[in-house]
Amino acid sequence: MSNQAIQVHDLHKDFGEVYAVKGVSFDVNQGEIFSLLGPNGAGKSTTISIMSCLLEPTSGEATVMGHSIKQDPMGVKKAIGVVPQEIALYPDLSARENLNFWGKMYGLRGDHLAERADAVLEMVGLSDRQKSRVDTFSGGMQRRLNIALALMHNPDVVIMDEPTVGIDPQSRRHILDNVKRLNEDGMTVLYTTHYMEEAQELSDHIAIMDHGEIIAFGTNDELVKLVGEQDRIDLTIDFHSDDILEHWKGVDGVHRVSTEDGTYYLLVEDSNLVLPRLFDTANELGVRISSVEIQEPNLEAVFLHLTGRTLRD
Amino acid sequence: MKKLIDLALKDLRRAFSNIFGVVMMLGAPFLITGLIYFAFGGVAGGDDSFNLQPIRAQIVNLDAGITGFNAGEQLSDFLLSDSVSRIVDATRVESEAEARIAVDEQVADIAVLIPSGFTADAVGNQAEASITLYQDPTLTLAPQIMRDLISQFTDGFAGAKIATDIVQAQFESRGLTLSQEENQAVANRYAEQLQSGGHDHETQTASGIKVVQPGSGTEAEQGGVYIGPVMAGMMIFFVFFMGANGAQSIIIEDEEGTLQRLFTTPTPRGTILGGKLIAVVLILIFQTAVLLIASGLLFDIQWGEPLAAFLASLSMILAAAGFGVFVMSLVKSTRQTGPILGGVLTVTGMLGGLFTTGIPDVPAFLDRAKLAMPQGWALEIWQRVLAGASLEMILTPFAVLIAIGVVFFSIGVLIFRRRFA
Repeated sequence: MSNQAIQVHDLHKDFGEVYAVKGVSFDVNQGEIFSLLGPNGAGKSTTISIMSCLLEPTSGEATVMGHSIKQDPMGVKKAIGVVPQEIALYPDLSARENLNFWGKMYGLRGDHLAERADAVLEMVGLSDRQKSRVDTFSGGMQRRLNIALALMHNPDVVIMDEPTVGIDPQSRRHILDNVKRLNEDGMTVLYTTHYMEEAQELSDHIAIMDHGEIIAFGTNDELVKLVGEQDRIDLTIDFHSDDILEHWKGVDGVHRVSTEDGTYYLLVEDSNLVLPRLFDTANELGVRISSVEIQEPNLEAVFLHLTGRTLRD
Repeated sequence: MKKLIDLALKDLRRAFSNIFGVVMMLGAPFLITGLIYFAFGGVAGGDDSFNLQPIRAQIVNLDAGITGFNAGEQLSDFLLSDSVSRIVDATRVESEAEARIAVDEQVADIAVLIPSGFTADAVGNQAEASITLYQDPTLTLAPQIMRDLISQFTDGFAGAKIATDIVQAQFESRGLTLSQEENQAVANRYAEQLQSGGHDHETQTASGIKVVQPGSGTEAEQGGVYIGPVMAGMMIFFVFFMGANGAQSIIIEDEEGTLQRLFTTPTPRGTILGGKLIAVVLILIFQTAVLLIASGLLFDIQWGEPLAAFLASLSMILAAAGFGVFVMSLVKSTRQTGPILGGVLTVTGMLGGLFTTGIPDVPAFLDRAKLAMPQGWALEIWQRVLAGASLEMILTPFAVLIAIGVVFFSIGVLIFRRRFA
């Protein structure tokens, strides 16, 4: 077997007229965390669903731990643990009963089942609530249990589809730390997110997706280099102005401008030189700038650079 | 196989932790049947807490009889016997006028006037035997009960007459004739057969209708005869309800996301759907067993021959499970399941005759129309089993119910497989 846990080659998926995935290819090495980063609707979840053998690809091929998703889906399913985006638990059963049931679905029995349930409960910090019904849990606790179920059979690869959506910062921190721990223990992680910070913190490699395609691939540093020495400036003004967007686009040293909820995101050559020009233009139009934030190049800037939009769009 | 059982056990665990489901599974059928039972019947087992006032009846027998046989006298003796004394407080009077006066003066509720030619008409070929009931016009229940008692008694004579006619026709076709004494012997033989037709006090007519011989059996047993079909109707309705309710778990799990998650485990989809079907069948087996046993104890319902009752239960359960899977396969979300469970099952149950089992003399076309519904076939088999039908007599509804279960289940599974492909 090669060193690659996952190999994806020219994957396509369409739903009639709608093309959800268009020619996606990537490899994931064993023992690394690989993130698919992109806004909602980029095709991340569809790719994950194909990797989980929930959807058949229209064309293309993928293997997980050497098992083809087309030829040997059962082999793939044994090798992976899937954390779905939505919480998928039995709310009227206890945490322990949920773990026991899902463990059995992976063939675990007897003492081994009990040991694994103890281990994952400890890992996600729910040992003291194991006998409580799941519908009495907070959203964050349910998210943690949602992850624990996928780890019951100690899979080679864990596939996580936006596991931190809609939870409090404390639970989010807990989950991210767990992902790192799993990886340190040698587990391969395929992670999807639209949070740039998560991809940046966790990933060995990142594929940025948009409109069903991978538009950039590499390590965090490699991707950031795509925007060169450009800075990102976030400007907030008191009221929305259609004119200011067009005027700022024309300012010397500005490469990209996009706006969302009253904030303007600009990619500029050198923020020290460009910022006074932006203020001058705003003054000429009678627009007052209420806040300024200058950011070092990051994945958000990369996405803006590549698409002209922010990851939140 | 282990996974199949694990899946079924998980669904059972969830089903029995759902209070609404348990109430609909067991509580509702008993509640409705119990209300009907206590409203129109009495507490079984000799409890005197509910007492219907006996009907005060004046019996006038003017029947002359023929060749030593007097049907009017036998009817009089029956109405005056201890076996019906809790229902009828009968007094024998000599003249029709005296009896009519007793009713007019409300000393009696009803007068039973047996005419002089009653026996002759009953066994002869020309006239139809009739009895006059002279009643207090303000009464409704007492005359109805009296009519039923007399009808049951005279049915025996009608049967004897048919028997002798058939025997006579057979002899005549061979150029032989029967004397009046020989005809009488045939009628007596028929009566003996009727008395010992496989049970101590009840037997089976060709049409499968239960004939209770007046004067035999306990009050509780007689109550069971009437409440049995009502309980059967309720049981069928709620078994079909639970069949669909159980199959609803597929829709619920789809919405909870756990079905999709199950599909990511190394468990074949057929096993997942199979486990769910097993859970539905086990729930229905439990429900049916509890309803049959408990209703037997509470309402003294005699559910017929054990093997026949078992086959009726089995076929009903399979039909209900298959129908439930089919109905739920047409549902897109749990928001639609309320109208489906409440509407479709109620309407099909109604057309299947489940809510009219306590109504006597249902028009023949309605009785036939019920067979357009799966529930109608379930009712048909239970009516036959309650009437003490033999295995041969329940074979047709048994086969139809099994076919209904298989066909609906296959269609339902096909639809589900397409949806989750």
